Amino acid sequence: MPSAIVATGVTKIYPGSRSRTPALADLSLEVPSGGVYGLIGRNGAGKTTFIRIAATQLEATSGSVRVLGHEVGTEDREVRARIACVPQESRPLYFLTTEEVVYLYLKMRGLPSSEAHRRTEEALEELSLVEYRRRLVSRLSGGLRRRTLCAMVLASDADVMFLDEPTTGLDPIARREVWEAVRRASREHRTIVLTTHYLDEAEALSSRLALIEQGRRVLEGTPSELRARVRYPYRVTLWGSVPPEELDSYGRLVPIEGGSMVFTGEREARELARWALERGLRLSMGPVSLEDIFLEVVGRSIEEDAPLPQEDEPTEAKA
Amino acid sequence: MTERHRLRSLGTIVLLNGLIPIRTQPLYLVNLLASPLSFLFFLTVVSHGALLRYGVTGGLLLTMLSAGTGLQSDLTHYRHDLKLQDIVVASPVEAPIYVLGMALSELVYSIPGLAVFVVLFAVEGLATVLSVSILLGVLVLVWGFATALAFTLATYFQDVRETFMFSPLISLVLSVLPPVYYPLAYLPAWAQVVARFSPTTYAAALIQGAVGLAPLSLSSAAVDWGVLGAVTAALFAVAAFKARWKEP
Repeated sequence: MPSAIVATGVTKIYPGSRSRTPALADLSLEVPSGGVYGLIGRNGAGKTTFIRIAATQLEATSGSVRVLGHEVGTEDREVRARIACVPQESRPLYFLTTEEVVYLYLKMRGLPSSEAHRRTEEALEELSLVEYRRRLVSRLSGGLRRRTLCAMVLASDADVMFLDEPTTGLDPIARREVWEAVRRASREHRTIVLTTHYLDEAEALSSRLALIEQGRRVLEGTPSELRARVRYPYRVTLWGSVPPEELDSYGRLVPIEGGSMVFTGEREARELARWALERGLRLSMGPVSLEDIFLEVVGRSIEEDAPLPQEDEPTEAKA
Repeated sequence: MTERHRLRSLGTIVLLNGLIPIRTQPLYLVNLLASPLSFLFFLTVVSHGALLRYGVTGGLLLTMLSAGTGLQSDLTHYRHDLKLQDIVVASPVEAPIYVLGMALSELVYSIPGLAVFVVLFAVEGLATVLSVSILLGVLVLVWGFATALAFTLATYFQDVRETFMFSPLISLVLSVLPPVYYPLAYLPAWAQVVARFSPTTYAAALIQGAVGLAPLSLSSAAVDWGVLGAVTAALFAVAAFKARWKEP
């Protein structure tokens, strides 16, 4: 399968950065065509910086990014003709209606009216925005505004779409509606690059994932490949009081409220389950989640913010 | 992008930033009318009508100047608060189309002001083929350099509040202090020299000369056109060189 995006040795140091801490440090990635590619990492890990470079909004300090065969930086016009992006913290124009946000964006991209209307209808329906179509953005909740922006980009004719934390602030039902729209777009052989720090979202949507930490790619692969690469691919949760020394030999023990969590191998997980059942302990077991993988690889929860290189960013305008 | 796509994009941006906001807030249409009408009223009352015509020509100039400089607030707000510029950058829309569309959309707000002052221009008997031709040329150049200035400044603003600080300053330097609403000769000699640093002095001299409010020789007209054209070209060059579509 040809690659939609090939990034090679991308480094980004923001101009004026006092510490010269790179936001991206020699990052290489290959995003295959079609499907959803998830970029996961803590806030400040470099996900948005990468998206902004690939979406031609930000210059890289060094390295190369090719989107659909075109070099970002020297062939921006060719790249821009085939991409769309929902930036992090973007908001739709407050004086437009929901329908106008989608329709006018498509018209601005140069689509004819009939095509823009058709795509707008589909997108509003898919993201359950039909009842809000005539409502001004200024009267929408934050979640509906975010959904409107997703509808706008997913309705476009772009081959590569960048969604930077598209579901932040959405309720669980709205999140799943966005997920469904993302899946539909990916079924149309379009490539979607999604950043998120919701690991369930990354796992539910992404055909491949890259874990970024401090501007570097730490892990990359399909969700099952990522699981295979961690030392303990299974998790057994035991409820009740068990002396830690009895569990230590099975793998990595993490005490939790009311019990213990053991990260372990497949054979050891079976043995531990049998051992626990013989003692009448309640338990649950299964493969580790992305959250667990993240914790193991990075050593911190994804909820913790990374030290931001942007703290050193200059105060002058950059756009 | 084909020419048809470009035109479609341009029209959509004008609609988006020029026409649709008026639907939700019709007072936008009065906004650009308020300052020039205030000046006209004040000048006419204080001068017992003697400076009415200066107020009319100055009003036309100030309306076009405001249509250009007003762009800085919208551009800054769209870039920083809404991230609209980032959305547009990552799309087939080209930077000149976005800027032209935004600039044209600002003109929509100046239509009532222009209409009022054009009517007054005609009622005062100032409209001749020559004066209207010169007026049109000058207004286009003033709008052009004000737009280029606004786009350049908007590049450096981090917050829309900064534009609130700059707008009155720009207005002061380009429309209140220079002899836009009064004859250059009213200023002392040293101030006349200082006034020559403002491009609107040359614009006003051309319009005032064209309608017979001030003497205008061929040679001074040539100088005025030359300076106005050069300033506009220079500000466009600065905008093209300094304004950033993609962040460094």
